[in-house]
Amino acid sequence: MSDLPFPIAREAVLRRRADPDLAGHDPHGPKEAVPGTGHGDSGPASKRIIVGYGFWIFLLSDIIVFSCFFAAYAVLQGSTAGGPTIKDIVDLPRTAIETGALLLSSFTCGLSYAATNARNKLWTQVFLGITAILGLIFVGLELQEFIELAGRGATPQRSAFLTGFYALVGCHGLHVSVGGLWLATMMAQVQLKGFRHEIIHRLICFNLFWHALDIVWVGVFSVVYLMGAAA
Amino acid sequence: MSELETDLHRHGGIGHEDHAPGDEPHESVGHWVRNYLLGLFFAVVLTICSFWAATSHMIWAPAVPVAIVVFAIAQMGVHLVFFLHITTGPDNTNNVLALAFGVLVVFLLVTGSVWIMYHLNHNMMPTDEMMQMQR
Amino acid sequence: MFGKLDWSAIPFNQPIPLITSVILILGILGVLGLITVKKWWGYLWREWITSVDHKRIGVMYMLLGVVMLIRGFADAIMMRTQQAVAIHSAGYLEPEHYNQIFSAHGTIMILFGAMPLVIGLMNFVAPLQLGVRDVAFPTFNSVGFWLTASGALLVNISLFVGEFSRVGWLPYAPLSETTYSPGVGVDYYLWAVQISGVGTLITGINMVTTVLKMRCPGMTYLRMPVFCWTTLASSLLIVAVFPILTATLAMLTLDRYFGFHFFTNDAGGSPMMFMNLIWAWGHPEVYILVLPAFGVFSEIFSTFSGKPLFGYRSMVAATLFICVVSMMVWLHHFFTMGAGAAVNTFFGISSSVIAVGTGVKIYNWIFTMYGGRVRFETPMLWSMGFIFTFIIGGLTGVLLAVPPADFLTHNSMFLVAHFHNVIVGGVVFAVFAAVEYWFPKAFGFRLHAGWGKAAFWFAFIGFWVTFTPLYILGLQGMTRRLQHIDVEAWRPMLQLSVVGVAILIVGVICQVIQLVVSILQRDKLRDETGDPWDGRSLEWATPSPAPFFNFAVMPNVEGEEAYWGIKQRAIDTQQLAPEPDYRPVEMPLNSPVGIYTAFFSTVTGFALIWHIWWLAGLGLFAAFIGFVVFAWRDVHEFEVPVEELIRVERGRRAARDAFLERIRQGEGAPS
Repeated sequence: MSDLPFPIAREAVLRRRADPDLAGHDPHGPKEAVPGTGHGDSGPASKRIIVGYGFWIFLLSDIIVFSCFFAAYAVLQGSTAGGPTIKDIVDLPRTAIETGALLLSSFTCGLSYAATNARNKLWTQVFLGITAILGLIFVGLELQEFIELAGRGATPQRSAFLTGFYALVGCHGLHVSVGGLWLATMMAQVQLKGFRHEIIHRLICFNLFWHALDIVWVGVFSVVYLMGAAA
Repeated sequence: MSELETDLHRHGGIGHEDHAPGDEPHESVGHWVRNYLLGLFFAVVLTICSFWAATSHMIWAPAVPVAIVVFAIAQMGVHLVFFLHITTGPDNTNNVLALAFGVLVVFLLVTGSVWIMYHLNHNMMPTDEMMQMQR
Repeated sequence: MFGKLDWSAIPFNQPIPLITSVILILGILGVLGLITVKKWWGYLWREWITSVDHKRIGVMYMLLGVVMLIRGFADAIMMRTQQAVAIHSAGYLEPEHYNQIFSAHGTIMILFGAMPLVIGLMNFVAPLQLGVRDVAFPTFNSVGFWLTASGALLVNISLFVGEFSRVGWLPYAPLSETTYSPGVGVDYYLWAVQISGVGTLITGINMVTTVLKMRCPGMTYLRMPVFCWTTLASSLLIVAVFPILTATLAMLTLDRYFGFHFFTNDAGGSPMMFMNLIWAWGHPEVYILVLPAFGVFSEIFSTFSGKPLFGYRSMVAATLFICVVSMMVWLHHFFTMGAGAAVNTFFGISSSVIAVGTGVKIYNWIFTMYGGRVRFETPMLWSMGFIFTFIIGGLTGVLLAVPPADFLTHNSMFLVAHFHNVIVGGVVFAVFAAVEYWFPKAFGFRLHAGWGKAAFWFAFIGFWVTFTPLYILGLQGMTRRLQHIDVEAWRPMLQLSVVGVAILIVGVICQVIQLVVSILQRDKLRDETGDPWDGRSLEWATPSPAPFFNFAVMPNVEGEEAYWGIKQRAIDTQQLAPEPDYRPVEMPLNSPVGIYTAFFSTVTGFALIWHIWWLAGLGLFAAFIGFVVFAWRDVHEFEVPVEELIRVERGRRAARDAFLERIRQGEGAPS
């Protein structure tokens, strides 16, 4: 840890632990509220935390959307209706490039946020730009894959398995695309408005969103592509 | 800005605030870059491992999915710790609790659905046979 | 150009929907005309439509919910009367029309009636009880409301343009697939529910963040009123399960619009997966509705018994227990589908176990009344009616949770009676109780007690006369959703049920009269102190109606029952707490982004329903532009000057001083 005035934070934590009122419900009169632990007993948290936390909750709900598509894919995986199976449509080298692009973009996105924290506009923009390009590469490769598959007759209308496949992978791709649109808007905002509080809050949210998409992709390439190739 | 907007140096610069997920406003650039490099390193290693597990025939075939799942969960953990800065610290309790709730829901939904649907399919006559009977 | 939309979409040949829609359209035009003539548009725009005040948004949610409740009740009247007359005959509703009515009834009552009512309550009450000035994301709150309203509008447009879904309140596949439902009915359902679902999700995120991150100083978790706990639990459930609804309906949409095979009969699709996913949302959904209702009753029982809530901690534990277990019971909606003994057993047990949490609560409420000084005001009548009704509903629920018994009663009128028993007895009674209870806080005067009590008795008796026959019919083997009936033996019970509906209608009329009378007598019913019921939580510390900033100074909570402590101290010491330092307060600015989003989501939804692709694209593009414009706004807040705070606060203190003076002169205990 860096230059945190740690003893003070530690003291606050210890007081919380020692305080029977941490568990809350103490009918025996007033207790001193511990200042600044930010768990609400010291009053509302700062806007930055509220925004970040609200977006975190949104991300959880988004992950649950994905989990539905994962469940649907898992259920429908065997229902190929005589069409191509997962083994027939997996192209691992492309998946590897896609994975690399998205992982790197997650990395550069994080670096852009480090630059934001240092209030460095140039590097923020540079890293956001790289993130955008890597995201575009990812979406492009995925589109190429879909077009190739469709060309071979493996469309989502062909079988329930392909329906599940396209919906799961496409749902992720759609998220990345929308994230790209957001990214472009954010770059314009950073350029024109600088590091205002709201802009930083949105960058925090964007950062969370992009990392979460990478986590979902770990699930996608593992469950769909790798298990498909190994099946 | 508002009184709520005292982001960084609330209470005279004391850092015992809650943190938003993915946010450590007091850290230096060096800390961030180090963290991200570490995260990238682990993630790349784990990705390579899982691709290797899927393609090579070094692992006993029925164990391959297990290996892939293990690597995937490990990699998700790496992302959470190094990219999203989820820690066990008290400033992160709420974030972790929310995450745990989300993981619980995902687990219930996916395993529940697969379990239920497996049994339904198992007990049900194949659709084409049923169509035959209705004819 | 206009996709599938042409003149045949207007039901010229069906008198009932046509006449209804003409009357509705004339009514809406009349209201709009009145607003124009009276020059109310400016006021409405500034104070309501663009308002981001959680109390205003809460009231608008309630208004929407009440209007939709009446619409759904009209559907119910038609269904009951149709079944009573259609014995060995066709009745007066054609099958196609009848199917739309029961589908619309369920959809509207749950998603556009009960949900807005419950969300409106959470919005109005929770920030006040937590001692804060607004929710975490005020503008998104407004967006959430307007999206819900937009969904409700789409459902009601279907009355006049096209048709509504005929496949029940949940569009079971494969019946809802294009093969069997080629019309626009299911599409209306899909887009209306999808749009309002996004609005609900926004509210859920908002309330979770508000409760977890925005409590006033000293408001630790176990000092929160139970209503806040249930708000948290319900909002967590919204965040957890509304995404499932979104995803499931998206899959059905993909099936219908692009020929995917999620739930189709052919190409390996799995219709049963639809049941599975939709109930993974659908069961927690009923707990989303009923948990805040439990919170309402907890507040009311404790206030009107003059005692702290019995077993507060067990109440909190039971709430969280229900919150988690409610996500493990969904299969009991399709025991009969054939998942086999192991799966059915698991879900049968979990469904029975969840009743334990509710049982804990019921005992707590009863023990709260025990030994208390119970005041039989209208909210208390609704609450006691609830206990009686809900216990019966809960017991029949436990019966249905036993798989072998469920095999006999599945999809019967017994089931219909059961879920009306819990939802009407639980949620609707709670909403009526809550409206009576918090009305003074919203508008500054109480509702007329006599008419309120009359409404309760008619509703309570009417409810039982309507639904007891349905239990009996269910046990006699009558299935739900019958358009006509061939069994003579069912006639008496069906007709008795219509008598119950008539009593319910009288109850509804009493409610309307109560509102009108209360408005006319508002000076007599005025709530001077801001604490009309001798309340115990922080909302009663504000004047009535609560000012837009709620609290001039954020309260500092020093124990449970935050306001009760402050009040008792004032009564003991015969004086109010010393006047604090007033500092200017920052409040969020009004924003038209909610109504803007609603306009374009309605347009986009309508375009998608009728396959007017260019319009859909245009709507989405406009929505994006709107968000960018909104994001570019620099000023989000304005400062409330100290003078304004002091003016409101002095008024409040004067009222409280007068109240203390009355006690001093021995005019009896408060209330």
